[in-house]
Amino acid sequence: MNADATTLQPRILAYLASRFPNATDHALHDVQRIAVGWSHETWLFDLSYRERGVTQTLGLCLRRDPGNALLRHLSDLEQQFRVLQCLARTALPAPKPYWFEDDPEILGAPFLVMEKVRGVCPSPWGREGRAFYGAAAARGRLPASFTETLATLHTLDWRAAGLDFLGVPVSGAAFVRREIAKWRELIAVSEHAPEPILTDLVCWLETNVPQSNRVTLVHGAYRTGNLLIDDDRISAVLDWELQVLGDPMYDVAYVLSDLNREGTPLLSNLVEREAFFHDYEARSGFVIDEAACRYYDALYAMRSVAFWMSASGLYASGRSSDLRLARTAWSVPVVLARAARDLNYWVDRAKL
Amino acid sequence: MNDADLLQRIAQTLKEEIAPAVDAEYPKTQAFMAAVVLQKLGRQLALAPAHAIAAVADIEALVAELRVMAPDAPPAIRDAVEDLARRRDAAALCRLIEALYAVREPLGRRFEELLARVRRTLGTDIERRLEFAE
Repeated sequence: MNADATTLQPRILAYLASRFPNATDHALHDVQRIAVGWSHETWLFDLSYRERGVTQTLGLCLRRDPGNALLRHLSDLEQQFRVLQCLARTALPAPKPYWFEDDPEILGAPFLVMEKVRGVCPSPWGREGRAFYGAAAARGRLPASFTETLATLHTLDWRAAGLDFLGVPVSGAAFVRREIAKWRELIAVSEHAPEPILTDLVCWLETNVPQSNRVTLVHGAYRTGNLLIDDDRISAVLDWELQVLGDPMYDVAYVLSDLNREGTPLLSNLVEREAFFHDYEARSGFVIDEAACRYYDALYAMRSVAFWMSASGLYASGRSSDLRLARTAWSVPVVLARAARDLNYWVDRAKL
Repeated sequence: MNDADLLQRIAQTLKEEIAPAVDAEYPKTQAFMAAVVLQKLGRQLALAPAHAIAAVADIEALVAELRVMAPDAPPAIRDAVEDLARRRDAAALCRLIEALYAVREPLGRRFEELLARVRRTLGTDIERRLEFAE
């Protein structure tokens, strides 16, 4: 069920007033629920208040756990809050976290409040978004920022930042096996009918785990649409729901994947492949391991199937009434066909 | 009008008359999405009888070929093939694939041959599903 702004707004205001007990005249402005992601409700607004005779304004973003969303059991707000706290000590642009509350008495569900960072986040899936990124690609500054920000993410000192609570893999293989286990679990709880191509894919993934000793912070969904942009630069990396400590090639594979571009050779609808390779390697110090990236691309196919099985299962079981989730039942065979192509099912025939 | 045609008709009404008349963004998107869902469901229903017949024929052909290809295969493989012959369903196919991977090393090159034959059936099946999923 979607939160009703008219009932939620006074409760948000009461909570925020309690965070500024010495101020008066607290008020919310420009409250809007934004349609980003399927896992948590996201609200943007400005808080104004008077303190020592001066009116202050604070731009805020509130994420609330609706309790029934996609990835519900894999992505909790408290962990997102802790990650943002750690990132605040690094050079990576990310929203500054303010408060996390797990008491459902306050807003009916756990929530976090963070800084509303200046910028826009056009969806890369629509015509307007593609036009936005196409124009930015031509100017060149945003693609460079995209790559530079990923390199910053992969070179930050995650131990010093305190991110080891995410779980330090003992080896590259351990990281991959943990990811496979995670998506296996999501597939299992979705109670979807058996899919032989998925079984083949999972068996293939388990048989061909790459060996890598690179361990960095990995965002897990680094692409346009999850990045806030201001003045042709990345102003914040958003959507900290899938982050892990593991092989940075997992993120690189996501950038290289054709899952994240439609009808354009530009990576993530924004960056020329050659420029990305050159700039990423120069800034991060990592050489892009294309064999590992191909493996991770197959792992993303497994993850996508898990997402869509979970999403359609939420609708089918009555836990969500969002018809976008019902629609994803037909995304499962589409991704499985892609996986079949990657596993060379039609090696002697024209590709799908 | 059969069930599949009726669903297509409802989808068309939702898409062309109901959704455009809704002002608020969320319910408007939901109405369009309902049209998409009904359209796909209608196409799936229309194709279901022919797809079911083809799927059974494909599994029968697969079983027949695997029996010839793997007469001396490890017992787990032979059992999985016979289980597939009896059940003719996706779960049995999954078990056969898992059984193949489990004895991948002792099978050597025959693993690739057997798996390629299974994949041929799976490939045909997913192509059929794409007829209504895309």
